[in-house]
Amino acid sequence: MPSQFIEANAEADIYPDYKDVVVPPNIAALNFIVHDSTATAYVAQLKGKEQELLAGASEDGVIRMDTTEWRALLTASKGNEVSVDVYAKRPDGWVHFKPYKFSVAEEPIDAFVSYRLIEPGYELYRQLGIYQRNLTTFDEVPIYENNRQYNDGENHCVNCHNYRWGDTGSMLFHVRSNHGGTIIVQDGKAHKIQLKDSTILTSGVYPSWHPTENLVAFSTNKTGQAFHLFYPEKIEVMDERSDLLLYDVSKNEVSHIIRTHDDLETFPCWAPDGKTLYYCTSYIKPLLEPSLPDSTVTQQLLIKFDSVRYNLMSIPFEPKTRSFGKPKMEVNAVAENKSISVPRVSPDGRFVLYTKGDYGQFHIWHKSSDLWVKDLQTDSCYALTEANSPDVDSFHSWSSNSRWFVFSSRRMDHNYTRLFVAYFDKQGKAHKPFVIPQEDPEWNILLLKSYNVPELSRNAVSISMQDLHRCIYETEGENATYKPNPTAIVNLDGMTGASIKRN
Amino acid sequence: MQKKPAKQPHRAAPQKGTPQQKQKSSVGTFQLLIAKIPVLAIFFALAWLWAGWYYGSVFHVSREYSFWSSDARLMTFILSQPYGILRYIGRAMLQLYQYPWIGGLLMALMLTAGSWLTGYCMRLKGSWQAIQYVPALLYVAIVTWLGLDIFFEARTGFIFGIPFAALVVLCIWAIIICSFKPRKRENGKKGIQLAVIVVVLAAIIGFDQWKRPYVRVICQLLDMEYRQDWVGIQKLARANSTMSNRPMACSYAISLVQTDQIAERMYDIRLDYDSLYIHGIDWFHNNASVLYVPEGNYYGGFLESAQHACMEQMVMTGPTIRLLKLQTKCALMRGEWELAEKYLAVLHRVPFEGAFIKKYEPMVRRNDLIEADREMALIRLTEPIHDSFENQYQQPLFMGYNLLLVEGRSKQALINSLCVCLYTKLMPQFVERLEPLVGTTPPSIIMDGIMLAENKNAGLMQHFTGLNYRQPQLQAFLQATQQYMSDRPGYAYELFPKYKGYYPYYYFFGNLKATKKGYTSLSSSSSGVN
Repeated sequence: MPSQFIEANAEADIYPDYKDVVVPPNIAALNFIVHDSTATAYVAQLKGKEQELLAGASEDGVIRMDTTEWRALLTASKGNEVSVDVYAKRPDGWVHFKPYKFSVAEEPIDAFVSYRLIEPGYELYRQLGIYQRNLTTFDEVPIYENNRQYNDGENHCVNCHNYRWGDTGSMLFHVRSNHGGTIIVQDGKAHKIQLKDSTILTSGVYPSWHPTENLVAFSTNKTGQAFHLFYPEKIEVMDERSDLLLYDVSKNEVSHIIRTHDDLETFPCWAPDGKTLYYCTSYIKPLLEPSLPDSTVTQQLLIKFDSVRYNLMSIPFEPKTRSFGKPKMEVNAVAENKSISVPRVSPDGRFVLYTKGDYGQFHIWHKSSDLWVKDLQTDSCYALTEANSPDVDSFHSWSSNSRWFVFSSRRMDHNYTRLFVAYFDKQGKAHKPFVIPQEDPEWNILLLKSYNVPELSRNAVSISMQDLHRCIYETEGENATYKPNPTAIVNLDGMTGASIKRN
Repeated sequence: MQKKPAKQPHRAAPQKGTPQQKQKSSVGTFQLLIAKIPVLAIFFALAWLWAGWYYGSVFHVSREYSFWSSDARLMTFILSQPYGILRYIGRAMLQLYQYPWIGGLLMALMLTAGSWLTGYCMRLKGSWQAIQYVPALLYVAIVTWLGLDIFFEARTGFIFGIPFAALVVLCIWAIIICSFKPRKRENGKKGIQLAVIVVVLAAIIGFDQWKRPYVRVICQLLDMEYRQDWVGIQKLARANSTMSNRPMACSYAISLVQTDQIAERMYDIRLDYDSLYIHGIDWFHNNASVLYVPEGNYYGGFLESAQHACMEQMVMTGPTIRLLKLQTKCALMRGEWELAEKYLAVLHRVPFEGAFIKKYEPMVRRNDLIEADREMALIRLTEPIHDSFENQYQQPLFMGYNLLLVEGRSKQALINSLCVCLYTKLMPQFVERLEPLVGTTPPSIIMDGIMLAENKNAGLMQHFTGLNYRQPQLQAFLQATQQYMSDRPGYAYELFPKYKGYYPYYYFFGNLKATKKGYTSLSSSSSGVN
């Protein structure tokens, strides 16, 4: 600690921005970089309740904190604030910046977050994988990586990993191209299935595990993407058609939940009681020219890409009989010229967290996208202003105690998504989020991949990469049996809920 | 007088002697001279010349198509590959090729050391000692054979990696020999060694000139493109005007756009596109678009598409210096400051990129500096006005978009569009876009295009000035080439030197699918823009 210093009028310029954030008591050390053009050394003093932590940095300004001391500091400071004093050694002596603070919440966050690491904005794919980060440390391990070396016969993509409500005991993800199929992991064993039927558009895409039954709701989407030429956003990902499916894991049976021609249904999400399925839907008939053939739908929608909008819907489900009821409009975003995607119900069942943007459903490329919630007790909807940014704020996942959520945002460089953690208090207010800490904070800048589809989980994935590799490479995948659900809805008018037909 | 005979024996001393003896003596002197030749030093000098001068540009561009950082995290994509360490070391060494003579020096040292060690380890004697140069010469031959493949799609780690690995093996071998059976190295027959070196190197360079002449030219052009040496590109392309390939055509077109000559000098080079020996990451023959599409889009004003093209390549091969630099420039022009800073932060970790960083880092958050940059200011003039999607156009985009251009932000954008229409020989589209030039004297290529379009658009010419003086030239051309019209692909190559630079030649004889260097068959009449 410098004994002599002069007071600066400003706060320290630090990266990442950890000022005034709320952090979980089990988070890894929030290492940061201090930027000062002339300083040659730095000291940071963190003062919590009855605990103090000192850390230093040389010219590079990277403040790395001792893990044990950090843990002690957070444990002692639960429910309180920690103040951070930063000192910089300039040629004319030490400078003390104005201190800043962060708060330590009482509630911990689920310890693990899984994500894909992929380059942003591409059609081709090469090396990618699903990784799991322990948020209480800096450990990152691959859950599954595709082939590192190019091989025409082996190249494949993996996506849409998902767990049953934060429990990795039930897990799934998709493999596309070579070795394609959906990988289901249960009881430590992986098996591959093929969700294919002449009535199914493609295969399972966006999944949601049922909280109590061994069921998964999938969307099935015919998706395409196009690249802008002169636009602030770079990519538009659009569905040409999409429906909802219900997959019975135990019986390996699949059926439609909703199968429509004029509506695009996507992003299913179960409520924690398993009695309601939330999803998004867009009524595209008015956007299409009736005289043109179906094969032109993509091109037609592409021309009107900023007019495709989705509402938030829900449909009741009776787990015992596996029957669906009548869809209900939850949020009519179309009426306000907005569009909703990725609904996620909080584990306590009170809030639906979703992304709202100006149009479309692939909000990960829409700068207008912000995080919103619907309070299911009061039916009120509001933006999570503290968590949002002018750039993309999208794909999100709840911690199992409903007090935290992790989401991806392009706010740092407008291109590469990074994961942010936000505290969500009991009143339903989100607090200023922070980027997940890295041992070397500069890694957030240097990493040339995006974090994609973050999923929080209470426990670590236990199945080994070798077992997954074996399942993917050595099995063809069992075809799921298509068994129509008598309560499935066909040709539903997604805007009005009219013209419902049963299968 | 009598003393003379007595002196004969003395005169007949072995040094001077009879003709046979003289011959023997001169052979001996020659052998003595040969024996004194520092063959290894000569090999080193020749290797340095080859690696620093002759092939220096190829290795220099290989470095641009590579990426290396001491930060192992950034190199995971290479380290996790088979032979990752070797490729990592190879890429590190390749960095020296920022300065080809220095990179060449390292390469020559490695090849020379490898040769010496080969001789030492294999205990080569006499004539057999020439074998010690075989591995190094074989390496040179393989590199020459591979041509563009040595750097295409992330194989750059092997350029130095393989000789390095060989050197390590030889060093270990030599140490073992030294430890257990030390011996003095013997001098072999240097004449044979020298002959082998000279003959094999000459053969390799002969092969390169015969089968891969475009490799050095393309690399020199790319290097000049990175240095924005537009005049150099034009000189080199015109000096090799009969050589024809797309990377060269694109570099040349970029240089013309940057010097406002695209509508004057585009057809100074052949545009028939001979096949290149180049293979993708899948080892299948590749169309080499990777070499020019990102830059073509960037210089055409399609910044997002340039970013897209860069990203696709980064996905497939990992980052490269060339892609990171282009991404930086695109991000700066799009005002994506944090993104530019990100790429610059990565480039900060690459050796010898100080000059680029020094030039572009100050442009972050400084639109005035970007507008003051000549290259960027010119690109700004051809950016699209309205948004649309890439997949609405033919590829490559910098061609496809200009074919459909309906509104441009500058005269340059219009000229580019007209030139693309002429290049693709789509005269209706060309005529549709002439309106803004009515009443003016268009650039020469556009004038020729107007005259050719006059056939189907009677009266078109009268809307422009300055065309009359070019009309006799067109008439003369049409008359002179009448006899060749029945087999245009067949005569294209033969007629090129005579009509080089003249658009009507290109219109009738250039860029026909069947046109090939030396093609003479009359049987093929298929034609169309390739």
